[in-house]
Amino acid sequence: MKLVLASISLTLLLVASASAHFQMVYTPESALKQGGTIPLRMVFNHPFEDEHTMDMGKQHDSDVLSPVESFYVVNRGQKTDLLGSLKQISFKGNTNAAAAFAADYAARRMGDHLFVFQPAPYFEANEDAYIQQITKMMVNVAGMPTDWNSVLGLKAEIVPLTPPYAVWAGSTFSGIVMSEGEPVPFAEVEIEYLNHDVDVVANAMGSVKYGAPQDSFVTLSLIADANGTFTFGLPKAGWWGFAALEVGPDDEYKGKELSQDAVIWVQAKEMK
Amino acid sequence: MKTFGFALVLIMVFTVVAYAHTPLMSCFDEGDGTVTCEGGFSDGSSASGVEFMVEQAGETVLKTRLNEFSEINFEKPQGDYKAIFNAGEGHVVTINGKDIF
Repeated sequence: MKLVLASISLTLLLVASASAHFQMVYTPESALKQGGTIPLRMVFNHPFEDEHTMDMGKQHDSDVLSPVESFYVVNRGQKTDLLGSLKQISFKGNTNAAAAFAADYAARRMGDHLFVFQPAPYFEANEDAYIQQITKMMVNVAGMPTDWNSVLGLKAEIVPLTPPYAVWAGSTFSGIVMSEGEPVPFAEVEIEYLNHDVDVVANAMGSVKYGAPQDSFVTLSLIADANGTFTFGLPKAGWWGFAALEVGPDDEYKGKELSQDAVIWVQAKEMK
Repeated sequence: MKTFGFALVLIMVFTVVAYAHTPLMSCFDEGDGTVTCEGGFSDGSSASGVEFMVEQAGETVLKTRLNEFSEINFEKPQGDYKAIFNAGEGHVVTINGKDIF
């Protein structure tokens, strides 16, 4: 009986842990007064607790990491491929280092620079399944709104109803969960706060900022409504990740279960 | 009375427009001896045809209008200068040359 309970507990623990994976596309500042070159760091981790950083592109049948599938930016409707700008790095989390990616991007033109990052599916051994998080993050130059609410028709996508770079701490963020341009009713959305400073020079995560009173507060969750729409209040300044789970059409990869998720990052600012 | 009411509504509409559409400008050094400035408004609307000026020591050295893409490219002046986007009273954006990279 004890063995059964221990197994159940372990399963629950692993499920809880697995569900908190977030593909980060990080830059320090999402609302630029003037254009400039910005650093980007793509890291697959658990942004609130940072208890483990994953090797991006890890496969179950090979030690070779699979390459990023696509990486591009959209500015004023014009798409620019950025795959060639990626450099593989080792990113140091608070418990381990793992394979991640870095890029520099010249955000010169006015308006929104909407980044889309699609990594290879990652093999999560604890679940014997793959996770692929198609991630959007955007940077605005000089305050002119252009592309932030574009529907890109991605396999898994969160389309914002609030500009993700113009949110006060204490206000809300709204979005629609979509798959190939269609809303996903009652989608499950997980939310995590990036609870650490990110050192883009050392490629390392800083120390923890806030504690959680209980595990429910580490990975927050909500269910979108019948139209795939959701609204969430952001209590603190900083980066917040939203992940809509298993909303993409692909549910199998290399003969194993695949969770194809949509991720978007939102940066809230303190009123000073 | 009707005319007064209409005028009041019109004034209110223009007041709202004035507050809602903040003028915006961003400039960058092309690295080839020229500077590009882009203009726009906070609702995403075009600034094509809006007046643009470059001033040095209080003198206007360039006076033109933004092109169909709401931008202008000009030779970078020697020394201190200001790039000015002039969309009308209360809708002026000025950027100092030393802040243009």
